[in-house]
Amino acid sequence: MPVVTPLLTLIIFTAGAIAGSLGALLGIGGGIFLVPFLNLGLNFPLQAAAAISLATVIATSSSVSAGRTGKQLINMRLGMVLEVATAAGSLLGGVTAQVLPQTTLQLMFGVMAAVVAVIMLSRLGRRNVLLDPSIDPGMLGGRFHDAESGCMVTYRVKRMPVALFASFIAGNVSSLLGVGGGVIKVPILNSWCGIPMRAAAATSAFMIGVTATTGAIIYYGHGQLIPVLAAAAVLGVQLGSSAGMHFGARASTKWLKMMMAGVLIVVSVLMFARALR
Amino acid sequence: MSVTNLSRLERIIGYVLRVGVATSTISLALGLLLSLTGAAASTLFLHIGIIALLVTPVARVCVSIAEYVTDRDWTFALLTLIVLAELAGGLIAALYGRKA
Repeated sequence: MPVVTPLLTLIIFTAGAIAGSLGALLGIGGGIFLVPFLNLGLNFPLQAAAAISLATVIATSSSVSAGRTGKQLINMRLGMVLEVATAAGSLLGGVTAQVLPQTTLQLMFGVMAAVVAVIMLSRLGRRNVLLDPSIDPGMLGGRFHDAESGCMVTYRVKRMPVALFASFIAGNVSSLLGVGGGVIKVPILNSWCGIPMRAAAATSAFMIGVTATTGAIIYYGHGQLIPVLAAAAVLGVQLGSSAGMHFGARASTKWLKMMMAGVLIVVSVLMFARALR
Repeated sequence: MSVTNLSRLERIIGYVLRVGVATSTISLALGLLLSLTGAAASTLFLHIGIIALLVTPVARVCVSIAEYVTDRDWTFALLTLIVLAELAGGLIAALYGRKA
C-alpha cells in the first residue's frame, strides 16, 4: 500500500480532476483513466487503484443522475432490470479480485480496453433511432427529446438477453478493474439493443452507482480503500466532471466515439506492456 | 405504472441522490482539509463521507422498492429487491473476508 503524503494527495486530486473532465467530455466515467494512472503511473496495487476509482464512479453516477432525473433520458425501468445483472456480476468480480494476481487483472484491463475500442470503431455510423414518435416503445423502451437533432426520439429495446449478459459482464469488469462498466455496456446497448447513445449512456450512468457500490463495499471492508486518497480523487473527479460536462453536451456523438476508442487503445497497449514485462 | 407515479419516483430518486452527494462531498472535503492540518477528527469525517457515498445508491434502491410496493408493481418490486439483496451480498463479502 502506498504511503500517504500531502503531495500524493494533491497529485491524486489533480489526476481525479483531469480524469473526471476527460470522462465527462467522452461521456464515460473517469475510471478508465484513473486506474491506469494509479496503477501504471504511481505503482498502486491494482486493487487499491480500483477501490479509489470505484469511489469516484459512485460519486459521478449519483451526481450526474441527480441532475438528469425528470428529463426522461434515464430509462429507469430498463436500468432497474439490468441492475439485477450488473450487481450480480459486480458481486462476483469483487470477490474474485481478492484472489487474482495483479498481472492477470492488468491483462484483463488491456483486453477490456481493446475490445471496447474495436466495438466503438466498428459501429461509428449507427444511430438506432426511430424518428416516428407514434411507434410504441413497449414495456422497457422509452422516448426523450434529443437536443442534438431537436426531435422526440422513440426506441424499443431489442435483444434483452444480450443487454442482460452485457450488463453482467460490465458489472463483473467494474468490480475487478475499478471502472464503471459503461465502456462495456453503452456500446452494446447502443449497437445491438436499439437504445440511442444518449439514453444508453444516461441509463448506464444511473445503474453504475449500484454496480460500483457492490464492488466498493468489498474493497472498503478489506481495507483496500485508502480514505484520504479516495476523498482527494472523489473531489477532483466531481470538480473535473462538472467542468467537462459543459463541453460534452456540445460534442457530437461520432466525435465522442472516435476519441473514446483512441484513448482505449493507448490504455490497452500500456496495460499489456506492464503485465508482460 | 402511471406517468404521474413514474415522475414521482424520478423526483424522489433525484432528491435522495442530491442529499447523498451533498453529505458525502461535504464530509470528504472536511476530512481532507482536516487531514492536511493533521487533526485527529479527519479520519472520522473521511469515513462518514465514504459511508455516505456507499449508502446513497443503496438508499436509491430502497426508495424504489417502497415506490413499487406502494404502486403494487410486483415485478419491479421483486427486481429491485433482488438488487438490494445483491448489495447486501457485497456487505457480507466485505465483512467475511476482513482481516481483523
